[in-house]
Amino acid sequence: MTTNNKLSSIVQSCRVIRKMSQPGPYQKSDELYYQNLSTYYTRLLKARENGGFIAAHTVFFPAEILYAMDIVPMHTEMTTWLMALFLGEQAELLSAGAEVGLAAEICSPHRGLAGAFTRGYLPHPDVMLWSNLICDNTAKSGELVMKLCNCPGFFLDHPFQHNNEEVSYLVNELKSMVRFLEEKSGHKMNWDKLSEIVARTNQQLALTNEINELRKLVPSPFAAQGFLKLLLADYLFPGQPEAIAYLQQLRDELKDIVREKNLNPSLEKHRLMTLFIPPIYMTSYLDRLYLKYGAVSVVEPMFTKWTKAEFNPSQALKSVAEKSYVIPESHVMYGPLNENVIKYVVDSARDYQVQGAVFWAFLGCRHACATIKIFKDALNEAGIPMLAVDCDIVDPTVNPEEEIGEKLERFFELLDEL
Amino acid sequence: MITAIGVDIGSLTTKAVVLDDKKIVSWAVLRSSEKTEFSARTAIEQSLQKIGLDFKIGLNIVATGLGSKTVTFSRSKSLTACLARGSNSLFPQARMAIDMGAESSTVIRINERGRVTDWQSQDKCAAGTGIFLEQMAKLIGVSMSEMDELSFQAKSPPEITNTCAVFAESEVISHIHRVPATSKEDIVAGIYRSILGRIISMCKRAGIQREVMATGGVALNKGIISVLSKELGFEILVPENPQLAAALGAAIIARETAGEKA
Repeated sequence: MTTNNKLSSIVQSCRVIRKMSQPGPYQKSDELYYQNLSTYYTRLLKARENGGFIAAHTVFFPAEILYAMDIVPMHTEMTTWLMALFLGEQAELLSAGAEVGLAAEICSPHRGLAGAFTRGYLPHPDVMLWSNLICDNTAKSGELVMKLCNCPGFFLDHPFQHNNEEVSYLVNELKSMVRFLEEKSGHKMNWDKLSEIVARTNQQLALTNEINELRKLVPSPFAAQGFLKLLLADYLFPGQPEAIAYLQQLRDELKDIVREKNLNPSLEKHRLMTLFIPPIYMTSYLDRLYLKYGAVSVVEPMFTKWTKAEFNPSQALKSVAEKSYVIPESHVMYGPLNENVIKYVVDSARDYQVQGAVFWAFLGCRHACATIKIFKDALNEAGIPMLAVDCDIVDPTVNPEEEIGEKLERFFELLDEL
Repeated sequence: MITAIGVDIGSLTTKAVVLDDKKIVSWAVLRSSEKTEFSARTAIEQSLQKIGLDFKIGLNIVATGLGSKTVTFSRSKSLTACLARGSNSLFPQARMAIDMGAESSTVIRINERGRVTDWQSQDKCAAGTGIFLEQMAKLIGVSMSEMDELSFQAKSPPEITNTCAVFAESEVISHIHRVPATSKEDIVAGIYRSILGRIISMCKRAGIQREVMATGGVALNKGIISVLSKELGFEILVPENPQLAAALGAAIIARETAGEKA
């Protein structure tokens, strides 16, 4: 059963929010953000009637390939997040996920996604694409989606190590995937288009790094939790004009704020580092709380802080492979946690002059939670207190808002008193 | 002349402490009702009555604990901050306080100024809390004080899970009914170790720093303190009225911040 009705609700919500946007320093980039979301899900919503070919893919999957092949992407985890954010029907989705055998301990975006397909809230994809980047949930959930949607799939085996041999292996994997997609969709890979996408990826990366440099300023010109919007650029529009337009607009707004000295330093009381992702359903609540306490997330080494890299558009597939090693998530959370990563997190805290760190301990993400103590000890040694908040990204039944809010308030109080 | 009042609203009991400019001049502990403001006010009234005073609006009061933000006649401060300040006042040398309350346990690290530098809390399961202890006492058919005495006579305490109070209860039931039954003394000691296993793990996560003190109603239990000292390998500081630490801290904060708005 496929009704698509929840996608139209997401599109509708984005349109309404965009129309209601208030004048403010980030008004234009906010409008672009919701316009981009609306574009993404409208394309997905209309894919069937437009004769489009839909490929569902897990997080951190190289969607550049899909854009180059004119295939309609459906980012699985992001879509579940957005359903949690806009529709507030997590309970039903999660219980539907449980009905197909996913227990409460399993990553809730994957549970919710299985529930969404079971309930017919999302269009069934023509193919399912998934990889082991970055966790076992992503490595396994593709098989279930294939079964639920009765569609073929491709598993992209991403090597842990970053060296020439492994990059060559990944390039071969990508080639196999391109062949698979060509066969299933009838769409041919447009190599020129992929080169253009890689060229824009360089631009995207440069803009993101420029934004991050502006965020280093004290006070930071960026919104308290603006980084959640930053994620969208690469998750949904890697190397796409939509990502460039959004990032350029945001960069210009931040520059304007700095130039016009349009910030009151006393409003920024606590500069924070955010580790992992806060509960998406609490975004508005946390916005209010952060505003009340003058807390601002200025750096997120696991998600938004890209290392510098330059990709070669004339070697497009190799560049796509190389990019997968420099995205922050894979850089920090994929494979063994070595000394370099710990140093990188501590250095980030120093570079961005953070006073405290908040680790969102998403219970469904065991490999991230396993690093809590290590990061906490390293940051404490550098004189930076860290709060770990047990939570779930999309399931509000794990912790009430007030409980999380109280922990944050205590933490802000602790920072005040130090 | 009284200068400040602190009130700590717990899930089981509400505690009030009244200070003059130097010391505690009165205190009261009573069962909490479902109405937060009523509990807070009654505890304060009782403590004031002991020194011949009446409650009136405008007193310098800081409240902490459950629902303290909703109390209309006081300012509110977090439990961790109050515990730290109260603990520091009772034992200035303490760098860690283990607060074992009725429904939650909290471990805080404290600096020399009585400020929190880190904390860990568990509030998701009754395992490791006073309510769990009461429940187990009922199950074994002894009072809390009898339980305490029994713990000192244990010979071979069994391992009892500390991850879930319900599972722990069924384990205790199976120890009672097995043939031969596990002795009450050993079961009690096993329960204590189970509770403390969870708390010690929180201490380790926060980083154990001596001196360590125990607060909260569960710290009145000598058997628990004895097992805790053995497990940690050193003596634990316990104030005369450990259940008052947070209320005392609230009162100290009230005195320090007199005149600030609610």
